[in-house]
Amino acid sequence: MPNRFSILSLGKILFAPNQVFQAVAGESPPASRVFFRFAIWIGLLPPVFAWIGTTLFGWRLGVEPVFLPQSTVLAVCLAYFVALLFGFLSGAVVARWMAVTYDASQSLGRCLALMAIVGAPLAVGSVVHLYPHVFFNLLVLVPVLIWCMYLLYRGLPIVLATGPNRGMLMASALIAYLFVAFVSLLGITVALWGSGIGPQIGT
Amino acid sequence: MSAAPYEDRVVTAFLYCSVFWALIGMAAGVYVAAELVWPTIDFGLPPLSFGRLRTAHTTLVLFGFGVSALIATAFYSVQRTSHVRLFAPGLAWALFFAWQLAIVLGAASILAGWTSAKEYAELEWPFDIAITVAWVAFAVVFFGTIARRRVGPIYISNWFYGALIIVIAMLHIVNNLELPATIGKSYSLFAGAQDAVVQWWYGHNAVGFLLTGGFLGMLYYFLPKQAEQPIWSYRLSIVAFWAFVYTYIWAGPHHLHYHAVPEWVQSLGMVMSLILLAPSWATMVNGIMTVAGAAKKLKTDPALKFIVLSLAFYGLATFEGPMLAIKSVNVFSHFTEWTIGHVHSGALGWNALITFGTFYFLVPRLAGAPLWSTKLANIHFWLALAGTMLYVLAMWGAGVSQGVLWLSLDELGEVRFSFNDVMAAMKPYYGLRFLAGLTFLAGAALMAVNLAKTFAGRRTVVARPPAEGARA
Repeated sequence: MPNRFSILSLGKILFAPNQVFQAVAGESPPASRVFFRFAIWIGLLPPVFAWIGTTLFGWRLGVEPVFLPQSTVLAVCLAYFVALLFGFLSGAVVARWMAVTYDASQSLGRCLALMAIVGAPLAVGSVVHLYPHVFFNLLVLVPVLIWCMYLLYRGLPIVLATGPNRGMLMASALIAYLFVAFVSLLGITVALWGSGIGPQIGT
Repeated sequence: MSAAPYEDRVVTAFLYCSVFWALIGMAAGVYVAAELVWPTIDFGLPPLSFGRLRTAHTTLVLFGFGVSALIATAFYSVQRTSHVRLFAPGLAWALFFAWQLAIVLGAASILAGWTSAKEYAELEWPFDIAITVAWVAFAVVFFGTIARRRVGPIYISNWFYGALIIVIAMLHIVNNLELPATIGKSYSLFAGAQDAVVQWWYGHNAVGFLLTGGFLGMLYYFLPKQAEQPIWSYRLSIVAFWAFVYTYIWAGPHHLHYHAVPEWVQSLGMVMSLILLAPSWATMVNGIMTVAGAAKKLKTDPALKFIVLSLAFYGLATFEGPMLAIKSVNVFSHFTEWTIGHVHSGALGWNALITFGTFYFLVPRLAGAPLWSTKLANIHFWLALAGTMLYVLAMWGAGVSQGVLWLSLDELGEVRFSFNDVMAAMKPYYGLRFLAGLTFLAGAALMAVNLAKTFAGRRTVVARPPAEGARA
């Protein structure tokens, strides 16, 4: 698969991730290619699904649906897209920084490709945002997330060319970063809501 | 003449009891989780009511599982870092029996309805006195051993265990100053806002010096031992220790944001909580870098995996804590399930996982036999990870929903949703949390079987300190 890492390989990433890991390790795609031909497109999926779902059905938190004004929905979805891109890029940069410690490949393209492949099932799974019922989303996305964690443990040693044991340690360290990034996102989100950006809540 | 052997039988005894209380305490937790889904399963029996059983759950896991594990590991490591037999082994055994008796009777008293109504300090005054006496015995044995050490420097793990003993004694005594009215009821010397401040000074530092400091002692001894690597930076560990001790003690008021305590007290608590991130993460970096040099050990040692993952959850919990202490986040998260999720990412992901990892390391050494089943330990690892993740994610979902719903106002500025409506909407999350707890408990049960089988028909190995002049 020389130089063919693009959005067209999405099917392969979902159904034959091992082949893709091997291909990326052999091909070492340039960072710009991973970003423009793949990451940015799958990164668009969750905000678009969320925009459609929120507009049609409102947020379903278990009681009455919460409808937001269209301008707020757009702003929230745009912020979601930016946050996803930031998470993706920072994850890759952190992986590259950690690579020194774990004797892994420091190619930015490979690090980006790893994050993109690992995140792909979540991006596709975000189709559940079409019906933004929080519990329903959680029910679908938790198994997907566990699959993504499996892909990270499995793929990291191959894509970044390090031993399986070092790979396991590096993947755990990376998960710690991703946890923190995610919980920061939660914190920033509710702080913004509290200051009047987002749903109208009375704080 | 060879030195007197280490007193490890008392370590084994504490370890056994810790595993036992883990199972009972976690089972109580699973049961109260089930009560939130099916409220009638208390069958109208007061001891099974949520308020009592939930308190029994926290008491059993904190003081039964947690403290027994801390005493076991403190006694094991202090002998080996001091190159001497435990000071006053008879007193150590007395502590063992007294502590276990206090847990049994204490849990029974809570189920019978005795409570001082102070969170994590619910045990009534007779138990407060018994715990104080037992804790003094712990201090005498521990510091007595250090005083007789044959190694010059006091190793970093002992600083943390020492801080645990001293600070918990201080917190326990001050927070439990009370006037007994009857055998089962007392009244706090503090009243109103003062009572709240003292209670959360206690509550948060119990988290700090027991669940963080004590378990960091465990980390600093057992991680380098398992990794067969020295600590990455000993200097960093000392700096982090003093920064940790100094900062933590101020953070309690973040439990009282927007309550009837002075504004400056709340802000001080918030700022100190944010500063606390630095020493917490210094320790995490130290742990991660120590284990980074020991990659090849992972293949043969199931225990190391638990410790590696516990560091990731330690990183999460010590980041999330300061974040939740920020007032503009807390206004949203306070009183929601997010807090419960945060506590459990620490308690399950950090405390329980590092303890499990340590037990898998310790038992084969105490028994002088390889672990009965590495495969079972690996299954336990995945059950523990899945249980913790599911728990935390369910509570994040529930907490954020609760936050939005409770703060939603209608056109007239009134609260839009009633408390009942919001709680009814939480049922699916509570179902998920029940499953998560069950998964985690199943893993712990596998560990209990594995450790019991490893020990079956064996006695604790007799180990001796190295000869004079040798190094650990």
